[in-house]
Order: sequence, then structure tokens, then C-alpha cells
Amino acid sequence: MIQADKLSRLYGEKYAVRDLSFHVRHGEVMGLLGPNGAGKSTTMKMLTCFLPPSSGTASMDGIDIQQDLHVRRRVGYLPEHAPSYSDLNVHGHLSFMGRMYGIPEATLNDKIREMSAACGLEGRLHQRIDELSKGYRQRVGLAASMLHNPDCLILDEPTTGLDPNQMVEIRQLIRHLGEKKTVLLSSHVLSEVDAVCDRMMIIDGGELRALGTRDELIALSSSGLVLDVCMRGDADAVVTAICKQYDGCEVDMHTVEESGLTKLTFRHVDDSIPLAESVFSAVVAVGGVLLEMHAQETSLEDVFHRLTGGTS
Amino acid sequence: MSMAWMQITSLCRKEWRIVMDTPLGYVMAIAFLIVCGFFFESNLFLIGQADMRGWFSILSLLLMFFIPAMAMRMLADEKRSGTFELLATMPITTMSIVWGKYLALWVQIVVLLALTLLYPLTLSWLGNLDIGQVLASYVAAILLASSYAAVCLYASAITRYEVVAYVLGFVMLLLVFLLSKAMPTFSPAVQDWLVLLSPLAHYQSMLRGLVRLSDVMFFITMSGLFLSLTWFELERRRWR
Repeated sequence: MIQADKLSRLYGEKYAVRDLSFHVRHGEVMGLLGPNGAGKSTTMKMLTCFLPPSSGTASMDGIDIQQDLHVRRRVGYLPEHAPSYSDLNVHGHLSFMGRMYGIPEATLNDKIREMSAACGLEGRLHQRIDELSKGYRQRVGLAASMLHNPDCLILDEPTTGLDPNQMVEIRQLIRHLGEKKTVLLSSHVLSEVDAVCDRMMIIDGGELRALGTRDELIALSSSGLVLDVCMRGDADAVVTAICKQYDGCEVDMHTVEESGLTKLTFRHVDDSIPLAESVFSAVVAVGGVLLEMHAQETSLEDVFHRLTGGTS
Repeated sequence: MSMAWMQITSLCRKEWRIVMDTPLGYVMAIAFLIVCGFFFESNLFLIGQADMRGWFSILSLLLMFFIPAMAMRMLADEKRSGTFELLATMPITTMSIVWGKYLALWVQIVVLLALTLLYPLTLSWLGNLDIGQVLASYVAAILLASSYAAVCLYASAITRYEVVAYVLGFVMLLLVFLLSKAMPTFSPAVQDWLVLLSPLAHYQSMLRGLVRLSDVMFFITMSGLFLSLTWFELERRRWR
């Protein structure tokens, strides 16, 4: 489990991360979302003991990050851009990583075989890393981070630069890993976090803006009910009936001259009212024809945009 | 074997593998042997004696060019390529990283110097070579190279660029060299201090065939000082 409590990091006079508190449960994949410069990488650097926090604490499986060597043994880290020793071949790189984490020589080759199979690197073990594509380098980074079977995985933008097929494969792999480990991954690709993570947190300017499941975040920043309607008939009568029924209901109306259709958008702050049913009844009551009706859903992009001030 | 020692040797093995797997190591070794061979041969036929003192004096100058080249990528390359973040988040102390890198560099230098053993072997076959003096000179060369390696490792720690690391390392060693050469121009009191603090003065003293504890301690202290500075430079990110 990863636990952070009021974690802060100053660069000079400026806060890169400020009072960040969260926890990631065992068997959970947590997404760390934020625009560029939001403090995602700094948070990860603190959790992996690369940088000490200026204030606040964090722990991995109950071990404080001050005890850096103990924490590092339990964490698998994939830094941004998946750096690796490009002059070595894949096997050489993984062997070095394994030895540094204290994997005994007797089991090292088995571990490398196991991880390279999990990451789809079987045929590439004796290829130099600088000859590999970006996707395979990313896999090498992932394999290296999991080689010592860590309890916690911290992945900084694990699918950056991958093609769509590779992205799907890596996401599946992370999803699979998340069943047994604690995974914290950062990204500014919303679809990735949506597809992989159980919960997500949004940070901006180093501060936590929101934390929860996808549905919780959407509910949190929902701006009410928005209903798009397309009808033929007396639209003014429908609008009058609805506005009379629901106080505070806002309506945009647009009539297409050629077809005689009217497009309406109803907005109400209370998303629990049966607006769709009322609109349907009103259209029928004025003898009109209802051609289309759908409620606009708040997307994760909308949530992200609202919470980060549209800076991404 | 303790975990720290295992990590230091693993780091050393990794560096060695990079040197062996890339043309860098071979180019360096061939260039070093060609230059050393040239000066050895030219000295030998000029003097006509089985003596290596002249060659060992030139060797101190050659090390000034070759050691920065061998050390330049050690830490600068790790920083530039981002692998330093990988290394620094492994369960290894910063001091062990410094020791691993230094050991790797030291082994490379010792192997290069070992390749030149062909010269004294040839001389001992051709003439009457003072083996004791040659052995003391090799000890002096290894100690001088060790301290130069520590200086150049520090140069590699303070920049992300290999070329800058080379220039910095070379300039620091050049300053040491120039100070030693300019020694007679200083007052006797300053000269006494410079003799005490000059690696080349200690090196020249050992070339006479005498391995004094004070000389050995000087080189160990100098190496220790620059290794500590390297450690400080790598840890500095944490205090910013």
C-alpha cells in the first residue's frame, strides 16, 4: 500500500507539490492525472526516494520513505521515457538490474525469462537496446521494474510514444499486474487512465484537485442535466410548458428554416429531475413530433478541463 | 558477499561490459599503446640503456590526456540519458555508486598499464633492468592514475555532457601539471607547500624506486577527497 500525507516539495521558493495526501490500496491501480508541470513526476520521484520531500511523509507498505534503501527494494520504478543502458543488450540490462536488486545468480536467468515473456521480449533478449523501437524499450523498462517482484509499481507515463497496438498491450499488462500489486501510474492521456485505473487523482499546480473513481469524479464536477432535443411542431409551447414546470430551467432554441425542425437544449442544475419524460409529454401534448432526444454526459475530459483550469 | 559489495561489483561489471561491447575501450587501448610504444621506443634508442625513468615521466603526461577520456562518460552519460534516476532509485547508496564507478575506472586503467608490462619485459631480456625500481614506478603510476581517475570522475559528476566532462577533467589535471612546472618561480616557502601538495612531485619521488608511506598516503588522500566531492555532487540534488 502507498500512503502519502501532506507531501510537499519545494524547488527554490516554488512549490512543485504541495500538501498532497492520498493512499493506494493493495491490488489497486491508481492514476495520477495532471497537465504538464502539474507535479506528477516530482510526486513519483519523492515516492521512489529519488528526491526527499520538503515536508510531509509517505510510506510504502508501512515503511517510511526516509528509510530509502528498504523502500527502494519494495518498489519497481519506471521513470519517464523509460531510460535504459542503450549500449547493453536486453539480457545484459536486465541482468544488471537484477543483480542490483540482489536477485541471486542461480535464479536470475529464470526471472529474466519470466519477465521477458510477460512483456513480450522473448525474441529480443540478445538485441542491443539502442537498436530497439520505442515500444520495445518501454517494455524493457517495464520488465526491469518488475524483475525483483516488487509489491508496489510506480510508472511514470508508461505508454508515452507507443503506437495504439502497443498501448493496448501495455495497458493490459498493467491491468493484469494491478490485480496482485499496488500500482501508481501517471499520465496526461485521459483515455489511458480511464481504461486502466480503478481510481484516479487529478493534480494541478502541485495540489490535489480531485480523487476518486471515474464516476465519482464525473459526479463531483457535474454541472447538472443537459438535454438535447430535436422536434417538429410548436417548440415555443414546449419551452413554455417545461419552464413553467421547472424553475431555473435554461433553454437554447434554434430552428432550421429549410427542414422546419427545431433544436432545443434544456439545462437544469438538478440532474435528478425527470426532464426527458416531461419534454416527451410536452411535445406529445402540443401535437409535435419528437425526432431525437439525448442527455449530454460529462466526460473525463470535461472534468479534467474544469479542475485544471483548461491549462492542458 | 555483502549486498553493497555485490552492487559495487555489478556496477563495475556493467561498465566493463559497455567498454568491451563498444569500440570505445578498444580505441582507447590501441591509442594508448601506440603513444606509449612511440615514447618508449624513441627514449630507448636515444639513451641506449635499459632504463624506464624517462618513459615513466612521460607517462604522467599521457595519463593527463587519457584518463579524462576514460572517465568522461562514467556519470555524465548516466545523467544525460536518464539512467542516473534508475540507478539512484535502486537499493544502493550514493557512496556505493561512486565506488562502483571508480572501481570500474580503476580496473580499466590498471589493465591498460598492465599491457605496457611488455616494455620492461623486453628491456629485462635486452639489458640489465632494475626490477625494483620499475615495480616502484608502476606502483607510482597506478597511484597517480588512481588520483587522476578520482579527479576526472568528479568532473563527470558535475555535468551532463561528456565533452564538458573531458575538458573539465583535463583542465583540472593541467592545472596540477602547470603548478608543478611553475614551482621554481615561487618563493621557497610556497615551494615547500607545493611539493607537499603536488601529485607530480610525489610521483617523481617514487620513480627513484622508493615507495614511501607519505607518498602513498598523499595519493590515497587525494583520491578520497575527490571521491567525497563526487558523492557530494550526486547527493546535492536532494538538498536543492
